[in-house]
Amino acid sequence: MNTTTIEVQTTLDSTPSPSIRETSLSSAQIIGYDHQQTVGRITVDNPKMVCRDVNVYYAKKCALKQVSLDIGTNEVISFIGPSGCGKSTFLRCLNRMNDTIPICRVTGEIKLDQDDIYDKSIDVVQLRARVGMVFQKPNPFPKSIYENVAYGPRIHGMVNGKAEMDELVHESLERAGLLKEVESRMNEPGTSLSGGQQQRLCIARAIAVNPEVILMDEPCSALDPIATAKIEELIDELRENYTIVIVTHSMQQAARVSQRTAYFHLGNLIEIGETDQIFTNPRHKLTEDYITGRFG
Amino acid sequence: MPISHDAHTVKQFDVQLANLRNLVLEMGGLVEDQIQNAIKALNDEDVSAAREVIARDQIINGMQVKTDEDSVNLIALRQPLGSDLRLIMSLSKIVTDLERIGDEAEKIARMAVKTYDGDNNPPSAKLLRDVAPMAKQATTMLHDCLDALARLNVEQAIEVAKGDDELDQEYQAALRRLITYMMEDPRTIGQAINVLFIVKALERIGDHARNIAEYIIYLVKGKDVRHINMETLVQDALKGE
Amino acid sequence: MNKKPQRDIKTIVNASLARRHAAERRFRWYGLIAISLGLVFVVLMFANIISQGYSAFWQTYIELPIHFDSAVIDPEGHRDPHVLENADYAALIRASLRAQFPHVEGRRNLRDLYNLVSSNAPFRLRSQVLDNPEIIGTEQSIRMLASATVDTFVKGNIDRHIDESLRSIKNQEIAWVDQLQASGQLKQRFNTILFSKGDSREPEQAGIRGALMGSFYTLVVTFLLSFPIGVATAVYLEEFAPKNRWTDLIEVNINNLAAVPSIVFGLLGLAVFINFFGLPRSAPLVGGLVLSLMTLPVIIIAGRAALTSVPPSIREAALGMGASKLQMVGHHVLPLAIPGMLTGAIIGMARALGESAPLLMIGMVAFIADVPGSFTDPATVLPVQIYLWADLPERAFVERTSAAIMVLLAFMILMNGLAIILRKRFERRW
Repeated sequence: MNTTTIEVQTTLDSTPSPSIRETSLSSAQIIGYDHQQTVGRITVDNPKMVCRDVNVYYAKKCALKQVSLDIGTNEVISFIGPSGCGKSTFLRCLNRMNDTIPICRVTGEIKLDQDDIYDKSIDVVQLRARVGMVFQKPNPFPKSIYENVAYGPRIHGMVNGKAEMDELVHESLERAGLLKEVESRMNEPGTSLSGGQQQRLCIARAIAVNPEVILMDEPCSALDPIATAKIEELIDELRENYTIVIVTHSMQQAARVSQRTAYFHLGNLIEIGETDQIFTNPRHKLTEDYITGRFG
Repeated sequence: MPISHDAHTVKQFDVQLANLRNLVLEMGGLVEDQIQNAIKALNDEDVSAAREVIARDQIINGMQVKTDEDSVNLIALRQPLGSDLRLIMSLSKIVTDLERIGDEAEKIARMAVKTYDGDNNPPSAKLLRDVAPMAKQATTMLHDCLDALARLNVEQAIEVAKGDDELDQEYQAALRRLITYMMEDPRTIGQAINVLFIVKALERIGDHARNIAEYIIYLVKGKDVRHINMETLVQDALKGE
Repeated sequence: MNKKPQRDIKTIVNASLARRHAAERRFRWYGLIAISLGLVFVVLMFANIISQGYSAFWQTYIELPIHFDSAVIDPEGHRDPHVLENADYAALIRASLRAQFPHVEGRRNLRDLYNLVSSNAPFRLRSQVLDNPEIIGTEQSIRMLASATVDTFVKGNIDRHIDESLRSIKNQEIAWVDQLQASGQLKQRFNTILFSKGDSREPEQAGIRGALMGSFYTLVVTFLLSFPIGVATAVYLEEFAPKNRWTDLIEVNINNLAAVPSIVFGLLGLAVFINFFGLPRSAPLVGGLVLSLMTLPVIIIAGRAALTSVPPSIREAALGMGASKLQMVGHHVLPLAIPGMLTGAIIGMARALGESAPLLMIGMVAFIADVPGSFTDPATVLPVQIYLWADLPERAFVERTSAAIMVLLAFMILMNGLAIILRKRFERRW
């Protein structure tokens, strides 16, 4: 980067903007509230998603503290950090998967393009069509391969007629690099595939509804290195058309696939930066300790 | 982020990193001895001591091979990141410079042998007058930068880098003087050229020490300060405290 | 300190190894003994029931040449159905029997002789004549039900060697039966009456069809009510209801309901459905309602268990695709849970099939000879029929009781088998 890096401190950047979901809890009531400022530049020139002062509470426990972060268009951003650091929690805020947990409460502001995704006018169904998700364990539906991919377009009513659906299913599988392997057995159950193929099927299923953002929650943690490499290659190809947010436990994977990396620690976004900078010269001691294996 | 001194979760990694660093420091010590011994052999007109220096260069070469091997193994087996990665990369580059310094010491020793072996005319004290201070300056620089490496001391490394400019100026001065002598008395040209090689070697030692200092700054600060002027170097090296 | 040399781990482990293995063997033996005991009792029960009941599937018939005397049946020769209906067909049988055994004399002996044949034989003759009046005036060989006493004797359940006063069949009757047997007029046939007739005071005429149909109607009502309601409740509680004090309370109550003695449901049914809503007594409709109440908690609990066993990853996948909650449940969770729910429902049904106590309270214990034809006809059910017959002293009813138990058990095994097949068939791997 030849432009001078603007060091933005999140607390300054996010002036006491009127948070829509004002919390009634005082900070003293909240367990584990200990906000740290983020090191590094949280903004990007061309943001797809803008998150400001995101807090997540499980009952009274604060699981995510004042996280502010931009996610750039067509970038791969990876979230790393030890278990329980809030990276998955934050990821699940981005498509409101946390809504399924009754005791979970989210405050702050998350915008997808110009829409506040926690606004009442935004339906979660519409949001999840725009922000797809791939999970840690490959979880194809116990239906045929074809049906797995066709499910999303079908429930959203995206296609008219069988021919259009066939085309969309083929295209999605093609883009997920799975078409050659499954072309002859589209009617076999998705669960009959190998782990890596199942995960690519899940990616095909996610891109069938043509989302703008794809969230991946440790997508390779259950896969062998070859399957992992295929997924990583796929992520690299998908970057052209999608914005990808990936949570991973493997620092090597974060280093391989992402352009920017964010390090979370105990619910704080500690550091965010270009991936190469994070892995060669992190600025925060916690980041350094984590990536060099000095943690705990 | 300055280099962390906390222990790694994997203790063996700490041990291996410490071993690598100690090996480099040991090599540095050896190189330091080599320069001093070479200069001493030159001063004492001791050909056999000079030959000893030449012979010992093999040990330094061996140590370079050993450190490179260890570095490669560490990278392959531990996938170091952050300061660990910078440490290993810096050490492996520092080793190259140390080996070159060793070569320069050998060169000085060869010159000593060439000058004092057999019935050659020894150079006059006039010709050799720049060698001693330059040698002192070069060995101090090397010593300081090894010290900086041992303590990961950025300020010291900056001092070393600054010292190189002085050494360069001294070299320029010595060069001018030697040229003057050669023009005054062409018979001294042969001897003067030998001395020229020696001061050139000392100047090169200073350059290598500066390189090492730059690697130390990179290792500690994560900033690449090569090929920039001294002012920016100092600015960069001290930023982010 | 170091007097004793440190023993190595091998010897230490070996020392306790024998003891550990012995404990393991002992435990295995306890298990085997427990299972064997259980099996022994099951075998004993089945052996007892089958040995007592298998003979009920056979019935003795007496074949007699009957002269359809027009003078008796239709003295005026008009073939008037009303006359045919009211003719004295018993006289035909009596005449035939007298012809068969001409030496029998005296009122009392003759009555004994006539009693060889079941009391429903005249009705059989009548229906034959009404069906085909042509046979009047001819002589036909007609097969008639033997009386229960004869049937019991023929099946060997009465010892002919004990004193006459101690057995229900007299010496002369034995002699007649022997004679009939010798002439081949005594036949054993498959007991179709057992499966085609309702209850009767005469054991040879008593069947379980009434009870079977009663059970069928009752279970239909039970299934139609409890399965949809149970599934809907389970889905709502598991997938949609917020987790708060109220739902906790409901959950506790459902679990408690499953443990409430069934007689209580009977009392409730009596009070609510019959006394308050005025539904008919003894009707399968009310029985079904009561059994639904009893089966519901079982289906709800089994249904919730089936729903929880659907892996959360499937739910996440569906939600992550942007499915609404109802779509998630309808498209993914329910199809995966339905086999488990059906299994629970069938097991609940099997329990309802075997239930008698609550039905006693709502009047399904009455003597009902007619086979019920609708949900509101008075009816009884199989277990109640068993209960009723078990009270009766006749040997012929004892064997019918066992036969009814066998039929009930067969249905239970069938239903449980169905549950297993459903589970195996539709169980998905994920």
